[in-house]
Amino acid sequence: MTAAVATLTIGIVLGYLGQRSRMCFVGGIRDVILVRDTYLLKGLLAFGLTAWLAFPLAGLLVGARSGSFGGSDAVTLGLTIVGGFGVGFLSTLANGCPFRQHVLAAQGIRSSIAYLAGFVAGAVIFHGAIAPLLSRLLP
Amino acid sequence: MVTTEVSVPAGISTRAGAVRITAAQMGGVAGFLAVVAGAVFDVRPPEAYGLCMACHARDLVNWTINDLAGTHLTVAPASVAFPLLTTIGVFLGALLGATSSGEFRWRSPESSVSTFVYGALVMNFALLAGGCAIRLLLRTTAGEALGLTGFVGLIAGVTCGTMWLRWRATR
Repeated sequence: MTAAVATLTIGIVLGYLGQRSRMCFVGGIRDVILVRDTYLLKGLLAFGLTAWLAFPLAGLLVGARSGSFGGSDAVTLGLTIVGGFGVGFLSTLANGCPFRQHVLAAQGIRSSIAYLAGFVAGAVIFHGAIAPLLSRLLP
Repeated sequence: MVTTEVSVPAGISTRAGAVRITAAQMGGVAGFLAVVAGAVFDVRPPEAYGLCMACHARDLVNWTINDLAGTHLTVAPASVAFPLLTTIGVFLGALLGATSSGEFRWRSPESSVSTFVYGALVMNFALLAGGCAIRLLLRTTAGEALGLTGFVGLIAGVTCGTMWLRWRATR
């Protein structure tokens, strides 16, 4: 319950800030390539830098462990690369990362509301069909 | 069509006195809160799970379906008791930002059918990679090699996507 309330609160703060700043995590890379504009990339770098500094600090303060992740075999590695590429490519075509799409939907953009509907359907499709299929096909 | 949308900020500060926040400020706050959520507010396991639009949305959707239909769809350990509400929060926060600045306006710049398909595909690839653009970066900064791999894949994907957009626009 703590996590639910915390994520709702953090979501509201970030949704507001994201709407005011037009922040987009995919757009940062896209704008640099397309129009040599670094405005959104600065947001991406600020996110990375802050989190990179905050992780060890959080580890010191509350004893949270970092770097304790599961194994990374060749299959997981391959899926992660393919997944990352797919997210990047399709988010560029969709004109924004998932975060940006949520913000646009809240601004009254109907096509982004349709994107969110697709997002929900995608989660059901993945766990209902794609994941079972992959676990059967892959070693 | 899409490329014009890139460089032109849609309806920025239409009302005088609207709050201005830069992307760098937002990024800094987001990076900090993403770590705090995981370290202080129990948004884990898995590690580096504090902020993710795809995984948290998946948790919310699957948890709701499990609750209503008694199914056993996958939910992250952090969402077992009650789902993470990041996506709803972001929507509400953005709605607050849009209405308070007068930027809320019903529009449909793109085909809803194609964006629906994009949404479904992005969700599938994100769950395959174990995170949306935000969480891949978060995992990278947490020192996970796999997260870095995914983020490199993301950069490659965005680069190809941008070149595809440019090629299509100049064809």
